[in-house]
Amino acid sequence: MNLEDELRSAFKRREPSPDFTERVLARVAAAPGRREPRPWIRWAVPIAAALLLAAGSLEYRHYQGERAKTQVMLAVRIAGSKLNKAQKKVQMLTHRSNS
Amino acid sequence: MEFSGLVRQHQAMVFSIAWHMLRDRAVAEELAQDVFLSLHQHLAEMESPEHVLFWLRRVTGNRALDEARRRQRRPMVSLENAPEPVAVTATGDPLLGTALRKLVAALPEKARAIVVMRYQEDLDPTEIARVLGIPVGTVKSQLQRALALLREKLSRSLGEIGI
Amino acid sequence: MRAAALSIAALLLAGALPAQQLKWDSEKLAARASDTVDISLDGALLRFATKFLSDEDKDEAKVKKLIAGLKGIYVKSFEFKKPGEYTAADVESFRAPLHSADWQRIVGTHSNEEGETVEVYVKNDSKGIGGMAIIATEPKQLTLVNIVGAIDLDSLSDLGGHFGIPGVEVDKKK
Repeated sequence: MNLEDELRSAFKRREPSPDFTERVLARVAAAPGRREPRPWIRWAVPIAAALLLAAGSLEYRHYQGERAKTQVMLAVRIAGSKLNKAQKKVQMLTHRSNS
Repeated sequence: MEFSGLVRQHQAMVFSIAWHMLRDRAVAEELAQDVFLSLHQHLAEMESPEHVLFWLRRVTGNRALDEARRRQRRPMVSLENAPEPVAVTATGDPLLGTALRKLVAALPEKARAIVVMRYQEDLDPTEIARVLGIPVGTVKSQLQRALALLREKLSRSLGEIGI
Repeated sequence: MRAAALSIAALLLAGALPAQQLKWDSEKLAARASDTVDISLDGALLRFATKFLSDEDKDEAKVKKLIAGLKGIYVKSFEFKKPGEYTAADVESFRAPLHSADWQRIVGTHSNEEGETVEVYVKNDSKGIGGMAIIATEPKQLTLVNIVGAIDLDSLSDLGGHFGIPGVEVDKKK
């Protein structure tokens, strides 16, 4: 038995519900900015567009932030592990010289 | 690129990444819908079918990671102490598959995402690193560690496993 | 004795230039490496990243506290396919900027068995530690770390000591 082959088999793609596509399209149709602008709400369209843009920018910012966070965690992990290694070596040598 | 065609083409991939990460069908479907809604908002930026594929994997992977972290914290124990998969046999492939999915679901979120990208999407470590936005060294070491842990857990039930 | 040395150094360095990123030229080394980690986080990026570090996650909360007020974190780690791909001269070139008066080597460890060395340097300013550098060598890996700003070495070392084995979530019901 090969573990990697079993993992490929276990993690085959699965289909969502049969009406998934229709539900996505319905949500897209209902999203702000898709309706016909009426004279008395003409102002709502640019605001909705700005909100969509802002939402898109926010999402992009979120992913940039998550990426920066990952980099920070990795950097701290690398630096900390090297420092920890040195510290342990010093402790070990100190212990040896004291015993 | 026609949006509804893109949804039909990629819905299994997006849903499956979410499901394998979160193990909750309803949440996975909702997350998958959100991803496609975002795709629709960013459609004009897509340069090619390959770009769409990369974008979907990246957004789904990151959102599934976020959701996995946001879910209610459960007690953390080492995988060494996790319960053995029950009724696993060498010939019971469906059972083995279920056991593997449960063990992978018990991995830390990042390791889980790496395993899903590797074995569901058949991405190599460099591609996984690009999709998840993490260093390739991290991908390799986490993958190696995850496989070693899975191998160990399963071998207790099955005996020798050829790798 | 170390405290006295630090005090003297602090007096000598009163009014010194603000801590700056070390200039390490590692392009040629990167070209020979099979894998490279290159992380460059200046103060602005650190402050940005801080907003995404969770107070509820124990490790992230510790990291958030650790990096508060730092001006930069720079890490370069090079992996090579076989030993001997980098030379003593390469390592010495990275030590060169640390020979200046405001840097002090506080730890130097060497393991003959594993062929590993770790050197830790701190930069002293009027307020205490104003920066840190680590040069760590293994037969097939070379790592350079430069942290700009007041870093708590004990907290950093503590974080490095337990990032190792990943924890696993299990169902409460089981």
